[in-house]
Amino acid sequence: MDLNKRLFINIIPGNTFLDKLSGTTKVRLFFALVILLVATWDMRIILPALAVSIVGLVSIKPNKKLVLGLVGFVTLMNLFNLFLVWVVMPDSGANIVGASTLLFRFSERYVVTAETLWYFAVRFLKFMATFLISLTFIQAITPSEMAAGLYSVKIPYKVATMVSIAFRYIPEISRDFSDIKISMQARGMELDPKKTTLLERLKQNVVILVPLIIVSFDRVGNIANAMDLRGYGRGKTRTYYSEHEETPNDRKMKVVYLLLYVALIAVIIGRIFFPGEFEVWAPWI
Amino acid sequence: MKKPIIVFQDYTFRYKTQKTPTLHNINLTLYEGEKVLILGPSGCGKSTLANCINGLIPFSYKGEIQGSLKVAGIETKDASIFEISKHVGTVQQDTDAQFVGLSVGEDIAFALENRSMPRAEMLPKVERTAKIVGMEDYLVQPPFQLSGGQKQKVALAGILHDEEEVLLFDEPLAALDPAMGMTAVDLIDRIYRDQKKTVLIIEHRLEDVLYRHVDRIILMDQGSIQLDSTPDELLATGLLKEHGIREPLYISALKNAGIHFDKDAHLDNIEELDIAAYKQPILEEMKASKPVEVPERGELLLKVDHVDFSYDKRKVLDDVSFEVHKGERIAIVGKNGAGKSTMAKMLCGIIRPQKGSITMNGQNYLELSIREIGQKIGYVMQNPNQMLVKDMIIDEVRLALELNKFDEALIKERVEETLKMCGLYSMRNWPVSALSYGQRKRVTIASILALKPDIIILDEPTAGQDYLHYTEIMNFLENLNREFQITILFITHDMHLAIEYTDRAIVFADSKCIADDFVFRVLSNTQIIEAANLKQTSLVTLAKQVGVEPESFIRHFIEREREERANGSK
Repeated sequence: MDLNKRLFINIIPGNTFLDKLSGTTKVRLFFALVILLVATWDMRIILPALAVSIVGLVSIKPNKKLVLGLVGFVTLMNLFNLFLVWVVMPDSGANIVGASTLLFRFSERYVVTAETLWYFAVRFLKFMATFLISLTFIQAITPSEMAAGLYSVKIPYKVATMVSIAFRYIPEISRDFSDIKISMQARGMELDPKKTTLLERLKQNVVILVPLIIVSFDRVGNIANAMDLRGYGRGKTRTYYSEHEETPNDRKMKVVYLLLYVALIAVIIGRIFFPGEFEVWAPWI
Repeated sequence: MKKPIIVFQDYTFRYKTQKTPTLHNINLTLYEGEKVLILGPSGCGKSTLANCINGLIPFSYKGEIQGSLKVAGIETKDASIFEISKHVGTVQQDTDAQFVGLSVGEDIAFALENRSMPRAEMLPKVERTAKIVGMEDYLVQPPFQLSGGQKQKVALAGILHDEEEVLLFDEPLAALDPAMGMTAVDLIDRIYRDQKKTVLIIEHRLEDVLYRHVDRIILMDQGSIQLDSTPDELLATGLLKEHGIREPLYISALKNAGIHFDKDAHLDNIEELDIAAYKQPILEEMKASKPVEVPERGELLLKVDHVDFSYDKRKVLDDVSFEVHKGERIAIVGKNGAGKSTMAKMLCGIIRPQKGSITMNGQNYLELSIREIGQKIGYVMQNPNQMLVKDMIIDEVRLALELNKFDEALIKERVEETLKMCGLYSMRNWPVSALSYGQRKRVTIASILALKPDIIILDEPTAGQDYLHYTEIMNFLENLNREFQITILFITHDMHLAIEYTDRAIVFADSKCIADDFVFRVLSNTQIIEAANLKQTSLVTLAKQVGVEPESFIRHFIEREREERANGSK
């Protein structure tokens, strides 16, 4: 069975360029891009970042069905969100971009201006770029690499371990859940959606949770013992088996993320010391 | 001069949550390079003893310690678990929970990571220990694709890195099928010899551990040491039965023949028995053997007819056929993944055959819903904690009846009847959380029996139970079968269970049903045993040595044991 790319989370490292980078590189690259995107409203940064995220996502050969489904869902939610913003503040572009060029008028209140459309486009693309980068990151990293990468940016290793341990035991818990469900069904619990109401099914799922929680608690105790017995938590530092040494590609990407951090600092300094009158830059203003 | 490595002196331990000590005044010295079995029934304190040695007591389990315990010269009550874990490596019972890495390599490296060892040093070490246990080709595999036996090997590799002098195995056989258990015992022995470690095995399955030599056996019961001797000495005494440990079958067979052992008899290895001395009494005793009786079969309850089932494209059940008649006790045996649990799921109606048919009481099962099938076939899971959802015993027993919307008068009547049948009536208002594991098991069985199914399926009813509790549960089931004509299917690895409590065995291997016959015939057939990952019982070896036919020898043994049990229960 090929577990790789079949799931949302990868357990076995893949073999594309991004997959083969070390956890440290992946995490640092991710943080650089995401923070940059959060910090900026500038289309001149957002557009290239979006292009990079698309190239990145395609390059890791993801599970197409899964990715298209997710992207479609997020796009719809995002557009709906923008529509709501427009309903509340039809001329939001005026305050944020700094002008109001009327394109179309529905009524006294509901207008469409070029600036609002531009602002919405920036907002939409900024969000999509952040989302695509996160998706690429999640799909290209294994939980163990993530733990190592987080540790490399000075996040305490106990926090990082919690993440990877959670991924380790999700399949076990879901197996327990389905076992319990089977035994309850055999005892007469009706879980067929056609034959029960939603409320009824919700109640029954709560009943299944009781043994699931008890069984999981037993497991947590055993895991904690297993970790203690092998010296987990004895030192302030830790190394990672899954974190391979820097490869030439890692070094290249190091240059990239260092440049990104410089850009990030520049953007932040710019926004603090030279705040423009308006939040969003537009080419015609 | 032998060097002591673990020294208990007047050691007493009481858990904070308990009133009385779990370990009483232990005096025990274990020496470097020894291989020792710590034997005892559940609750005798053997796991507590192990946790004292590996440092979980007092690190994770708080309590009151008196006396002294030194491990590699370190007084454990003052030391941290990390200091002790440098000297003692532990393989725990739960093979799933102790696999904390996301791949084999990562899990083996876990202790090294915690020591902040640079990765370049780590890789060759992981490679080396993986090779020792034979897992070097699996380094990138995630745990979800490994068997219980493989996970245990990984756990073992993880503590072989260098410095641990003592290897501690806490019930290493509990989660394994018979053949894997043999492999594990063999592997432990090989590592003991090659790596020059001190090995401690905590187990209650004596015969399986004795598959390879051990130097010393410490028999524990009720928190103190009952006997500290060589295997030969212990086997010659009657202490095992007294303390609720299953005697090796060949020893029981010899004792049945009225043989008394000399002080210096070699008993721990069946191959080295002085068989000439025992031959005559065994042949003599065999004369009492009765001819084969083909039991009268009750009405046909269930007919599985040429059934196929596949997951994705992999065939899990391939042309399976068998029949179940009223009042039968059947063992469904075979290695993990051979199709046993799939068959059980199918009988409960959770999955349906893709080919072939199943008939229940003459009715086509495909026309029945899961719920309707549930009233005919009950399924008791291995771990009772996975089944119990209510706070009180009586509510748990009511649940299935309520879910099936029986009317209140009938529910009351059925619940009372079932509780009485299971000996739970006087406890009916007890909280489930106050019950022991065995009692919980009984509640889950009661909760299924309330629906009055024709057949109940029990998944590994005795897993993790020592002989005493095992006997208790099995006698209870035997009673249900005898008194109330309840038909029982056991899904099990446990050959003792099959021998003692079932009449027929259905054997699965590689998704096919490869045998359906009397238990004594299945167990004397070498081909079936190999194909199904079963273990050849020592009775077969003994029979061959004496020169009697294994099949009739096993049959005779079973008859005698049952007679004795019947007499005992009267």
